[in-house]
Amino acid sequence: MPPAPIYLDHAATTPVRPEVLEAMTPFFGPRFGNPSSTHRWGREARAALDEARERVAQCLHAAPDEVCFTSGGTESDNLAVLGAWRSLKAHGKRAVVTSPTEHKAVLVAAHQAAKEGAEERILAVVASGAVDLADAEAKLAPGDVAIASVMWVNNETGIVQPIAELTALAKAHGALFHTDAVQAFGKVEVDATRIPFDFASVSGHKLGAPKGIGCFYIRRGTSLEPLFFGGSQDRGRRPGTENVAMAVGLARAMELAIAEREAHWRELEAMRDALEAALRERVPGLVVHSAGAARAPHILNVSVPGTDSESLLMALDLQGVAASSGSACQSGSVTPSHVLSAMGIPADVANAAVRMSFGSLSTPADVTRVAELFPALVAKARGLAGIA
Amino acid sequence: MATRERVLVAMSGGVDSSVAAALLVRQGYDVIGVTMKLFHDGGDIPDRPCCSLDSVNDARRLAEGLGIPHYVLNLQDQFGHDVLQQFVAEYAAGRTPIPCVRCNTFTKFRDLVVKADQIDARWVATGHYARIADGQLLRGRDADKDQTYFLWGIERGVLSRLMMPVGSLTKAETRAVARELGLLTAEKPESQEICFVPDGDYVKVLERELPADAPALQPGPIMKSDGTVIGEHAGFARYTIGQRRGLPGGGSEPIFVVALRPETRAVIVGPREELLGRGLIADEVNWLVDPAPRTGDAVQVRIRHRATPVPGTIVRLDGGEIEIVLEEPVYAISPGQSVVFYADDVTLGGGVIARSRRALPVRAA
Repeated sequence: MPPAPIYLDHAATTPVRPEVLEAMTPFFGPRFGNPSSTHRWGREARAALDEARERVAQCLHAAPDEVCFTSGGTESDNLAVLGAWRSLKAHGKRAVVTSPTEHKAVLVAAHQAAKEGAEERILAVVASGAVDLADAEAKLAPGDVAIASVMWVNNETGIVQPIAELTALAKAHGALFHTDAVQAFGKVEVDATRIPFDFASVSGHKLGAPKGIGCFYIRRGTSLEPLFFGGSQDRGRRPGTENVAMAVGLARAMELAIAEREAHWRELEAMRDALEAALRERVPGLVVHSAGAARAPHILNVSVPGTDSESLLMALDLQGVAASSGSACQSGSVTPSHVLSAMGIPADVANAAVRMSFGSLSTPADVTRVAELFPALVAKARGLAGIA
Repeated sequence: MATRERVLVAMSGGVDSSVAAALLVRQGYDVIGVTMKLFHDGGDIPDRPCCSLDSVNDARRLAEGLGIPHYVLNLQDQFGHDVLQQFVAEYAAGRTPIPCVRCNTFTKFRDLVVKADQIDARWVATGHYARIADGQLLRGRDADKDQTYFLWGIERGVLSRLMMPVGSLTKAETRAVARELGLLTAEKPESQEICFVPDGDYVKVLERELPADAPALQPGPIMKSDGTVIGEHAGFARYTIGQRRGLPGGGSEPIFVVALRPETRAVIVGPREELLGRGLIADEVNWLVDPAPRTGDAVQVRIRHRATPVPGTIVRLDGGEIEIVLEEPVYAISPGQSVVFYADDVTLGGGVIARSRRALPVRAA
């Protein structure tokens, strides 16, 4: 019997929680109505959607009208960057600001804004991956920035960015501020009353809700062009018949994440720290990315110089251990991480990165097994690299 | 239960490698499928370095159907260095390269073998029409499909780790197996083109990779072997020895490209008999048998894919360089192409043609 497989890729996605599935089930069955319909089926669906929106809003310390349901992180990020740019370019704003370590959903949306006339300003990051606040000040100071977007918790390294400071800088210079909180929600406190960000993105499937649902926080009164046109759903900000079942599921997943947040943090941190310590001890030359910086507890990203991610991931998978090199990729081909490159990590080290991310499926036994297996695979890969 | 031997199968998404994988699964091996990503598809989209190729998807779906793991291996850097850059450099030097040879030598049967080692795979398998027996590389059973012409550069020691399951089938049999197994790829059309030159226009690749003022793409004279200039061309890299297309017409007999002279950018043309060569000198020689042939040995010689091997003799063998005299002259021995040596079905080895010995003297300008 091969040992049970180990899933260490919770930053990529998570299984749907039973409580979430249970909450959604009626809406795939008897409560199937369209929330825009005026009859009783419609009213039932509308009531469920409104309630879900209220619950999501509470999770963000926001008002219900500040919450928009989307298909997930990518859509929310696009809506923030392009929606804000398109809305403000007619009002004298010239630039969009972002960091080089953002998710591609933000980076490529910023490139698209550039094609539509924006000046793209990319913030400097220091070696740990944290955004350089002095550079942020300099790039926002001209007062011509439509929107600045910086990810709260980086999906590859787990570093926590100084969102309060960045929001304050953006506000001081008349820019809107968006944060991709996809990896942050459920780990750090995302509270719209404590930090006055204008937009925030949250994705359901990182939290035990299904893929294809997310939410987008829009501070009341903030101008935004929609990406889609057609209906009046979600105040015209996101036309299209609402995904009632998954909105209900998202609300449940977000509530659970908040209720469990602190205990979950401690569990994840203990496992992450144990694995990090074991690997440091057993793998000579191990590089831990963003080590020493404030990190969310679920991500451990390491490089072993002299190996390559692709081979290690393949070897790990064949031993039943699922990890990743960074963000998931359609073709399945492993490419060097733009995040690590932006942090100034040399290409050969970046090419050896392996991200292990903990979550609901993780146990201390996983840590023990990976702490044994990983060094053995590394030793093998290093030996072979020497003869190649 | 005995541990099943692990095989890493290179799956291109085409029918041959699909059948290879399926046959190995049927034979009970622990099969791991991989698709090599060798070059940038859609290079104009820098933010999408990993946009999916249809072939990757075909291979992945096939692997799912066979119940085997499948991975995409990014070998773009190695392929770019070992194959693509050299392809361009060879054309720039007035030679006609075969990128598939170098891909086999370096990418598939060196770099991929290292990947196999990393996952403890005893074997590496491909969908080539060639056979491996007793550590020797034999011609494929389907003479029309035999691919040993492209495989001579493999390091000899690697042969004992290779499996080429469709090499003992004809193409028709391969398709029949694919249909019998219900493989998605059974009816997929044959690809004969160079993978990174999908529309068959290699000049486009050169125009992309070479500087705009590269001599190989600059105009130059088209001249006969006696020095008479009969026209102008738009770059000697557009010509290959033996080519008729793109030459001035109107003469009393057909003319062919018989030589390229990069130093003067001249394309030398002449009648068909000027293409005849009675021998050749090759370098980068690699032997697939031990002991290797020696000076004075008679060998069967092939200077192009699928040509019937012709008898020749090794008259000089000097490390990596070899000189062959052919019993009968052959047409269009082209520098940059491969020469491959056989003893009946056994592939002895091969090399890269450096120059031909002409049957008729060519008075070059």
